[in-house]
Amino acid sequence: MRKRQAGGPPEAYLPLPPATFHILLALADGELHGYAIMKGVAARSEGTVRLGPGTLYGALKRLLEAGLVTESGERADPERGDERRRYYRLTPLGRSVARAEARRLDAMVRAARRKKLIGIRPA
Amino acid sequence: MSPALAERIYCFLLRAYPPAFRAEYGREMVLLFRDQCQESDVHSVGFWARVLGDVARSAPALRLEAWLTRWSENTRTMEVIMKLAAMLTVLLGVIGVLNAGVEWGAGAAQTIQGAHAVSLMLGVFASLLLLAAGVALLSGTPRSRQAARLALLASVVMIVAARILFPWMSIFSQFVGIGLPVALLIALYLPRKASPLGAA
Repeated sequence: MRKRQAGGPPEAYLPLPPATFHILLALADGELHGYAIMKGVAARSEGTVRLGPGTLYGALKRLLEAGLVTESGERADPERGDERRRYYRLTPLGRSVARAEARRLDAMVRAARRKKLIGIRPA
Repeated sequence: MSPALAERIYCFLLRAYPPAFRAEYGREMVLLFRDQCQESDVHSVGFWARVLGDVARSAPALRLEAWLTRWSENTRTMEVIMKLAAMLTVLLGVIGVLNAGVEWGAGAAQTIQGAHAVSLMLGVFASLLLLAAGVALLSGTPRSRQAARLALLASVVMIVAARILFPWMSIFSQFVGIGLPVALLIALYLPRKASPLGAA
């Protein structure tokens, strides 16, 4: 992802790398810790996108620097033991960027449909 | 292999990441790795291939980002040094013109030979060029940087020519008059911008 000063227009961050968009999608439902993000991404992509710790935290670091994601505290996850974990959530800018990327991808899919590269009607 | 040993191996692999990144996210990464160990077969080749693949993909990119950030900070420091050097250049240009004027005044009481007069004129032009280079550097645009390079180069040539024609300058004046433009020229030809792109 291009490094930008936080606060630019959402379109300035596009296109997002697939892993980054997956992370934003995972956080769209609410705050999550690293492992929950990783599991969410793997489930949503049906196992095609597997984020390892390095890729995940590298992407989170960039998202934090760009102001698309923020830390929302540190606490234990009752389902995963007593260790305190850092939780992350989308900022309003992060949500706008995710929305803009979704619109961009949607336009591309519609173009592919018009060219009959994929089904005429969505499944 | 026990999960504890796998975790020790992973802690060793974390050394591939930049120290600042490790300090910030190392504990979280180990926690995540521990979670992965609980749900995967740590004895399998596939598990370690994924772990090594993740480190090999992400660590060099993060190292490069850290290096570029450091380089960018150094570039900012260099900009401040260049501003100070430009101010010094303006000052030395003014002093150089005054110095040539004083020498002309002292020489006028006696007889100024042709070579002496030409050498003094060259000294004045060289100082004026230094002054112009300093002003151009202070304005900071790419075009003015190019103009400053040319002015500095011409100034060095003139100072050397003045020295050869008639040695009226002190050793210190010659050292500063040649050394400063050469140092500035070297600094101006150094690469100045780090790539704004982070790793994808």
